[in-house]
Amino acid sequence: MEGEKAVVALLLQALVTGLLMGGVYAAYSSGFSLIFGVMNIVNIFHGELIMIGAFTTYWLFTLYHVDPFLTLPVSILSASLLGYVIQRFLINRVVEAPPMMSYLCTFGIHLILANLALLAWSADFRTVTTSYSGEGFSVGPITVPLARLATFGIAIVTTFAIYWFLEKNRHGKAIRAASQDKEMARLVGIDIRKVYALTFALGAGITGMAGGLISTYFVIYPQMGLPYTITAFCVVVLGGMGYIPGALVGGLLLGIIQSLTATYLTSGLSVAITFILLFIILILKPQGIMGRGAVE
Amino acid sequence: MTMISALLLPGIARGQTAKFRIGCALPLTGVFGRDGNLVKDAYAYWADTINAKGGITIKGKNYPVELLFFDDKSDQAESAKLVERLATFEKVDLILGGFGSDSVFAASAITEKYKYPMVSGGASSNKLFERGFKYYFSTLGKATEEVRGCVEIADMLNPRPKTAAIIGSDVLFTSLAAEGYKSYLKKLNIELVYSELFPLSLDDYNSLLFKVKQKNPDMLLVGSHLVVALKVMKALKEVDFMPKMVAFSYGPTVPDFIKSLGKDAEYVIAAAEWAPNLKYKDAVFGTARQLNEAYFKKYGRYPDYVEVASIGGALTEQWAIEKLGLVPPLKEADRVRIMEELYKMDVMTVYGRIKFGPDGANVEHPPIAVQVQNGKLVTVFPKDAAEKPVWYPAKAWKERKQ
Repeated sequence: MEGEKAVVALLLQALVTGLLMGGVYAAYSSGFSLIFGVMNIVNIFHGELIMIGAFTTYWLFTLYHVDPFLTLPVSILSASLLGYVIQRFLINRVVEAPPMMSYLCTFGIHLILANLALLAWSADFRTVTTSYSGEGFSVGPITVPLARLATFGIAIVTTFAIYWFLEKNRHGKAIRAASQDKEMARLVGIDIRKVYALTFALGAGITGMAGGLISTYFVIYPQMGLPYTITAFCVVVLGGMGYIPGALVGGLLLGIIQSLTATYLTSGLSVAITFILLFIILILKPQGIMGRGAVE
Repeated sequence: MTMISALLLPGIARGQTAKFRIGCALPLTGVFGRDGNLVKDAYAYWADTINAKGGITIKGKNYPVELLFFDDKSDQAESAKLVERLATFEKVDLILGGFGSDSVFAASAITEKYKYPMVSGGASSNKLFERGFKYYFSTLGKATEEVRGCVEIADMLNPRPKTAAIIGSDVLFTSLAAEGYKSYLKKLNIELVYSELFPLSLDDYNSLLFKVKQKNPDMLLVGSHLVVALKVMKALKEVDFMPKMVAFSYGPTVPDFIKSLGKDAEYVIAAAEWAPNLKYKDAVFGTARQLNEAYFKKYGRYPDYVEVASIGGALTEQWAIEKLGLVPPLKEADRVRIMEELYKMDVMTVYGRIKFGPDGANVEHPPIAVQVQNGKLVTVFPKDAAEKPVWYPAKAWKERKQ
C-alpha cells in the first residue's frame, strides 16, 4: 500500500513538474511564434531578448532591491524597446528579402548582443535570490514551487491576451491582415512597416518578461541565449509555427514529456527527446500537432 | 609616429632587456567562462608579483614576464588551435595550463608535440595522466581523488550517514568525480541508493532531484562545475529537499556561489585542495594567509583553490628557469631541460608541497573539504586542518530562518 502511494506520488509529481516547466517554455516561446507568424522571420536573437529581460530584473533587484515581480514592466519595456529599434532599423531592411537574409541578420544581432552583454557584465553566473526564492507549497506529497506556478499562470494569461488582441483588436487585426496578405493590407491602407515594428516590440516584450520571470529560478549569464532560442524553436514547431495558442500547447507537451522521461528513464534522454519530437513533427505533421501552424 | 613605435616595440624603444613571453588559452567566455577568468586573474597575479621585483632574475639580471591570453570559448578544439598558434606563430617561451579537463586534454596534446612543458592548475581528470605524456604536469590531484575528503568526512559525523546518492554532469571531470565518490563510498561501507549522470544542457533539474528526494539519502554527492552546482542548489530548494549533507566536487569555492545564493548556500560542503589556514608558504608569496589577504586587496575577493593551484604551477616553471639559468627567448632544447627539471622538483609553495610523479600528477596533495558557514568557507576536513567542526546535519529548508 505504502509502495503504491509512492508510485502514484511520483507520477503526480512528474506531471506537475512537467506542467510547470511547460509553462516556462510557453512563456518564453510565444513571442518567437508571434514574430514568425507575422513576419516569417526565425528570430535567432530570441534568447538574447530573454537575457535582456533577465538582466533587467537582476540589476533592479541587486542594485535597488526591487522585487523581481515588480521589475517585470521594466523588463517588458527594455526588451520591447530593443526589439522595436532593431526591427525598425535593421530587420525591416531584410524582411522582404529571401529568408537566408533574415537568418544572417538575426544571427549577427545574436552575436553582437551576447558579446556586448559579455563586455558589460562579464561571464559571471548570476541568480536572483529573494527571501521567497525556491519557496513553494505542498498538496499531499506533491511540491509546487511558487515562482514557477506564477510563470505558468502568466504564460496562460499572456497567450490568451495576445490571442484576443489578434482576433478582436483593430491593431491586432491589422497585424493579422499583414501576415495573411501583405499586398492587400497595403492596398487597404495598413502601414506594413509600422505593423512589423509593433509586432516585434510586442513579441520582444513578452519574451523579456519571461526572462525576468526565469531569473528567479534559473542561472543567468550573458551567453545564455542560444539554448533558449533552440528550445523556443522546438516548442513552436511542436505547437505550430505562428499559431499563438500552439506555443502554450507545445510548451506544456514538451514539459510533460521531458519530465516523464527524466523521471522514468534518464535525464539524458529528456534532452534528446526534444529533438526526436522535433524531427517526428517536422516529418509527419509540419503544421504542428494542432494542425494550425504556418508552413512554407 | 615615435609614440606608436614606442608602443609597438617597447623593448627596443626603451632599450630594455628581453622578456619572457608566456601564453595561455583559457575559457574566458562560454560555460566555463567564470572559472577561466579566475585562472587568468591568478596568472596575472603571479606575473605582476614577479614584475614588481623587476621580473625573473637570471644571473643577477631581471627579465620581466609578459602574458598573452587567448579565449578558447570553453571549446576544446578552439583551445588546441590557440595553443598551436602560441607555439608556432607567437613562438612564446612558455605555455601555461588552461581550465577544464576537456580543453586541457586537447591543448596538452599540442604542447606535447611542440615540447612545451605545461603545468596546469585547472584540470584534474585521470585521463590526462594516462597518455604517457612527458610534458604535461598538474598541481591538482586526480579528479577521482580530489573528492576523497567529501566522502571520508562521513567518519567525523554523528550520526554517521548510512546512505548516499550521486549525481553529476556527464563531462570528463565531473563524471570522474562521480566515480571517485562511488569508490570512497564503497570503502566506507555507505550504501549508494541512487546514481545518475546528466547532460550539461539539461534544462530542468527538478525532475531529477525529485527522484533523489524519493530515495531520501543521507548524503548527496554532486560531480559539478560552478553552474551545475548553482542549478542543483536552486532545484533542491524548489523540490523542498535537503539531505543531511550535500557536497560538490567544484563550484562552491568560486566566490559567485555564496554571492548568488546568499543564505541558501549554508551547510554546503565542497572539495578543495587549498585553504588559507593551512601552513603553506614560499619566498615569493609568503604564507597562505598572506597570499589570501593580498589577493583580496587586488581583486576584492579571496582566491579559489584552482587559482592558487595555477599560481603554484607557474611558480614551478619560474623556479625551473631560474635554477637552469635560462634566458629568453627559450629554445626547444631549453624547454626539454625545464621538463626534466620539473620531474626532479620537490618544493614547498604557497599552494602546498609540489612533487610531480612519473605521470605528471602532483603526488603531494592532501584533499580537503570546506563548508559554507555564516557566508564564509571554512575548512572542516581533514581533522588536523579543520578550522571549525562541521555543521551536521544540514537544516531542512523550512526550518531555516530568513
